[in-house]
Amino acid sequence: MTPIVLTVAWVAFLLGMAWYVAVLDGLWAAAREGRSLRTPLANPLYRCATMLRQQSNLTEAPDLLNWRLAPALYAGLAGTGVALVPFSGASVLADLEVGIVWWGAVEALTVVVVFLHGWSANSQLGLIGAYRYVAIGLPVMLISMFVLIAAALPAESLAVPKIIESQRELWNVIRQPLGLPLFLLIGLSLSFRGPFNYADSADLADGTASEISGAARLVWEFARLAMLVATAAMAATVFLGGYLGPVLPGPLWLLLKTAAVLVLLVALSHLFARISPSRMLTLIWIVLMPLAFIDLVWAGLVAL
Amino acid sequence: MSVVDDMAFWIFALTAIVSGWRVFCTDSMVRASFLLLASFIAVGLIMLLLGAPYLGIATIFMMGVEMMVMALFMVMYMMNPAGLNPMVMVHQHRFSIGAGIAAFVGLAAVMLVTDFADNPVASDARVVTDLGKELLGDSMLIFETAGVTLLATMVASVILSSRSGRFGPADEGSVPPPLEPGGQPAGRLPEEGGGHGHHHH
Repeated sequence: MTPIVLTVAWVAFLLGMAWYVAVLDGLWAAAREGRSLRTPLANPLYRCATMLRQQSNLTEAPDLLNWRLAPALYAGLAGTGVALVPFSGASVLADLEVGIVWWGAVEALTVVVVFLHGWSANSQLGLIGAYRYVAIGLPVMLISMFVLIAAALPAESLAVPKIIESQRELWNVIRQPLGLPLFLLIGLSLSFRGPFNYADSADLADGTASEISGAARLVWEFARLAMLVATAAMAATVFLGGYLGPVLPGPLWLLLKTAAVLVLLVALSHLFARISPSRMLTLIWIVLMPLAFIDLVWAGLVAL
Repeated sequence: MSVVDDMAFWIFALTAIVSGWRVFCTDSMVRASFLLLASFIAVGLIMLLLGAPYLGIATIFMMGVEMMVMALFMVMYMMNPAGLNPMVMVHQHRFSIGAGIAAFVGLAAVMLVTDFADNPVASDARVVTDLGKELLGDSMLIFETAGVTLLATMVASVILSSRSGRFGPADEGSVPPPLEPGGQPAGRLPEEGGGHGHHHH
């Protein structure tokens, strides 16, 4: 694929998959409440139109630069995450030698932009959401580091295409069974959904997003969906062999696997209740972190 | 180096210097931390241009976490948290001006005197592999000593600040320090038998 085709594919993937997640969310809610399953298909588009026509809210003395930049930066980070994912053997937008480390940077900078978004609005609920998110987001990132280093071990490389090629015989999801479940939790935390929604939850009246409306809110909501898409694409690539698969062409395999992971992520975010931040911190440090460490040791022993 | 690379270098270099300078002009701890982060990100991108992908991206990644933690802890432990509240961010003016001039002269001298290497590495050199071999080979002792020291520091600070820590339960009997030596604790004292419990009868 030429760079232009690749860029178009990248944009289409981000927008299409974000719409797909919004529809999945809508379908889930409609099925649970026994409503018609027809409306959720168009609802995301109506919602975009509504937000674009809305007035932009302003608070008293916000840090306007950071407040306006945060949604765009968040969406941009999700975009660079998707750019790391190869659509097929020869077509990857960002062919970085250390792609998996860049994904780590995406996670670290996500914590920063979500904090900035809540902080810069100069409102209590946003600030509480921002602080809570940092407390949970930082240890979750450590889990991600262990899991991703483990996934890079069999490939003996930090490049994403090499990690895919190392899965020709056996996918990482079988070789390192703890990796994918832990990585899915990280995805929920990166886009603060369901059991990991500490930033923008209902108990804070939308937390860091409690004061935004209009185009800024549209970008913010899109960015959350896009970050979930980026994590799903990364999970499909690092643990499920990415574009590898019989009969069908590579890009289609990637699409199918990403779509399947997204169904799983949406189900997780609707099925699990959120626990209080302090109990979640205990769960992360006492249970999830050691599991991630076992995953790394396991991967090391298998690689030996 | 192509023209695009040159332009990218100048943009990143300018970003690094301007945001580094703004760190000292801003009036908020949080803004100062993230301006410093912007400066480090620009330096990380320059390292990418120089063909050190691992070091460049690791700089961005580590600084992201580091500045986040720094902003959080500064706001947490400062008397005046200065989140969106303005505060003066510079102190010890004469000493810092002197130190700044000395550091500038020193670094400028190093830059002018040093005979910088001028042999570009081949584009197919395995720089990341070489770096890994260096870090976990000859430099392993230094690398691991620094790592374990940092880890011990982190564990110790968590133990000292946790609720059931070294100085007893953290949320019991903590009083603010007095304003003058040996005086009453600063701030409002809790009322006798306080709380809202009685209003509910």
